[in-house]
Amino acid sequence: MNAIIFSALAGVVMMYSGIITSKKTVIKYIAAIALVVLIAANLLQVYGIWQISVDTRDMLSFEKFGLVFNTLAFTATLIYVLLSGKEIENAGVNVAEYFALIFFVLCGVSILSSFNGLLMMFLGIEILTIPLYILTASDKRNLRSNEASLKYFLMGSFSTGIMLMGIALVYGATGSFALHTNAPVALSATGGIKASFLEVAGMILMFVSMAFKVSAAPFHFWTPDVYDGAPGVFTSFMATVVKAAGFIAFIRLFEGHTAILGPTWKILLAFVIVATLLIGNVTAVFQQSVKRMLSYSSIAQAGFMLFALYSSNDMAKEGLLLYSVAYSLATIGIFAVLIKLKDYAFDDFNGLGKTHPALAFATTVCLLSLAGIPLTGGFFAKYYMLASMVKEGGPLWLLIVAVLFAAVSVYYYFRVIQAMYFKEGTPSVQTEITSGFKAGMVLLAILIILLGIAPSLVLNLFYF
Amino acid sequence: MNWPFLLLDAADNNSVANYFPIGIQLIFAAGFVATMIGVSQLLGPKRKTADKLETFASGIENHGDARQPVAIKYFLVAILFVLFDVEVIFFYPYAVNFRELGWSGFGAVLMFVSFFLIGFIYIIKKGALKWED
Amino acid sequence: MSTIQILFFFLTALALFSAIMVLVSKNPVHSVLWLIVVFFAISGHYVLLNAQFLAIVNLIVYAGAIMVLFLFVIMLMNLNSEAEPRKHIWMKMAGVISGGCFLMVLVSLVRQATDMQQRTALMGSGNVGLIKNLGKALFSDYVVPFEISSVLFLSAMVGAIVIGKK
Repeated sequence: MNAIIFSALAGVVMMYSGIITSKKTVIKYIAAIALVVLIAANLLQVYGIWQISVDTRDMLSFEKFGLVFNTLAFTATLIYVLLSGKEIENAGVNVAEYFALIFFVLCGVSILSSFNGLLMMFLGIEILTIPLYILTASDKRNLRSNEASLKYFLMGSFSTGIMLMGIALVYGATGSFALHTNAPVALSATGGIKASFLEVAGMILMFVSMAFKVSAAPFHFWTPDVYDGAPGVFTSFMATVVKAAGFIAFIRLFEGHTAILGPTWKILLAFVIVATLLIGNVTAVFQQSVKRMLSYSSIAQAGFMLFALYSSNDMAKEGLLLYSVAYSLATIGIFAVLIKLKDYAFDDFNGLGKTHPALAFATTVCLLSLAGIPLTGGFFAKYYMLASMVKEGGPLWLLIVAVLFAAVSVYYYFRVIQAMYFKEGTPSVQTEITSGFKAGMVLLAILIILLGIAPSLVLNLFYF
Repeated sequence: MNWPFLLLDAADNNSVANYFPIGIQLIFAAGFVATMIGVSQLLGPKRKTADKLETFASGIENHGDARQPVAIKYFLVAILFVLFDVEVIFFYPYAVNFRELGWSGFGAVLMFVSFFLIGFIYIIKKGALKWED
Repeated sequence: MSTIQILFFFLTALALFSAIMVLVSKNPVHSVLWLIVVFFAISGHYVLLNAQFLAIVNLIVYAGAIMVLFLFVIMLMNLNSEAEPRKHIWMKMAGVISGGCFLMVLVSLVRQATDMQQRTALMGSGNVGLIKNLGKALFSDYVVPFEISSVLFLSAMVGAIVIGKK
């Protein structure tokens, strides 16, 4: 509960910080301090020292998994604010409001990591997405930003409608909003599962809607346009923390329900995983803009995260935490560099290795991590995902397909590395690169390598 | 149940029957309007000249399209109105149970309202309701 | 056939007809007006189900406030029936086919669902939808989501300022 209350209050503080002061840097530092307080408050609850206890009537359940995810998401946001704070300041006039909306998104994240009923899940998803529609449109004079926001809003509200339909059907079948995670599944005489048709249909509708929210194919069509059209800083936030939160909600929702859906569930999920990997990776190869490439790559990474849902055992949960961290940190790092450049084309990275060796090194580490090269965080993330699937007895072909597409992804990530080191040119840096930023990027790179050597750093949080 | 007595029963129990008078009222209102328009159409004299058939615009010759883009200010006020409208809706169930809910209910409503008040002060401070800029 | 059944079928037919008219009207303002009719029909259903508070809220918030917003948006964008982009016939066909498939699945679902058979809606009875019981549920069992929803309202206010203000 600490996380939900403190993030909402931090949002209010940020709303008013814009009225009290007009200095953008001050606002940024207030946000950073509020984030530190938020992390501290959440940690107090993780270790059971102090928490605001509210009788939620079993609508929220604060388990270690969700609370640890909160910590990781807030920390990733802090790193994001510290690295890309300058760009948030320059994104538009309403800086304080952007930070307020980011805190409201975090409130949604902390609801999604601990909901225990469909009502709270719906509320969490709404609190998560409505600020995002606004952040997407924050570059008001830019037609592409407006278009992206409108597309996101229309499609997003349509998918929310589908989710509500699903919730209504499940409510109609079971008569309650609670997630029956451990409910025994009645078997019919023929051995098939005797679940209510209504409940199954409701679950499938919710699956469609959640797949939309995490941009899994074939519900991914909004992703490239929205990620490309939104201001770069906010794309960075949307593609990382928000996406990871979507997966947490996804796995919380379906954990105990897969039995109801029967054997078709695995087939359906395998189809979605393969389609997501295929579309994300193959389309990313042909992109000319790094930003668009990253949005397709985020679809591809979603394909890997879906493995957590496929196996949905303890290892998958650990893996999902690790994957969220590794993927979020790497993507935040790349975006932090990308938005410093004038344009988002591959050629803008030309010669970065010569002019800014530190930045180029950090970017390389981030890209390697996204590709899943050993010694970076991304390797263990992908390893945990696939290993959990094998442990659950997943088919071999799915494993082979996943590894193949991971190999494909190396190609487009290496295009950026190639541009940085092997192409001549001067990178067109838009905003000044301070030594603090360089130090931050190098620290981020070290963190990613550390995760690659000792993933237990994150996983231990889960147990201790 | 005889239908004339529905009207008498309505006040006593909370049921669909309560809406019977409202239904009658609706039918009567719609019927009255429809009849009046129809009858005046039938009985009234008709002199269809070009001037008579023109849209009435206070005697001024009409020009242009009525569908012109309105200022965004109207929209801002309208959306803020919707938000506060929804807030007010929540007061009805509270008001009905005011006594029974006691202090805990009062606390809940107070918190909700204070959140809205925070929002309202924010809106005022930002000058969103200022008409002239 | 009882009065309630007659009313039910009348309202259902009205709701379906107006919903279709929302889609086929060329003029967006007409679509909005038909949508208001849909809301009234749905409110009628709520009354039949003895959910009177919901019926009134539906009228006040949806038919009243939100439809005004819709009209504002339409006027803001100056939509004319001529300006509407022509959609390709295949797109329309694809929409009809996928929507039709979805309808078919839902209809067969309702027909086959074991927990729906031999059951009818609670018409005109049941007290859950009455304002008193609703208030008790809202302020005791559902008080946490109720408070959290204010965060949603706050972000909507911030959003209105960010997007709507110069």
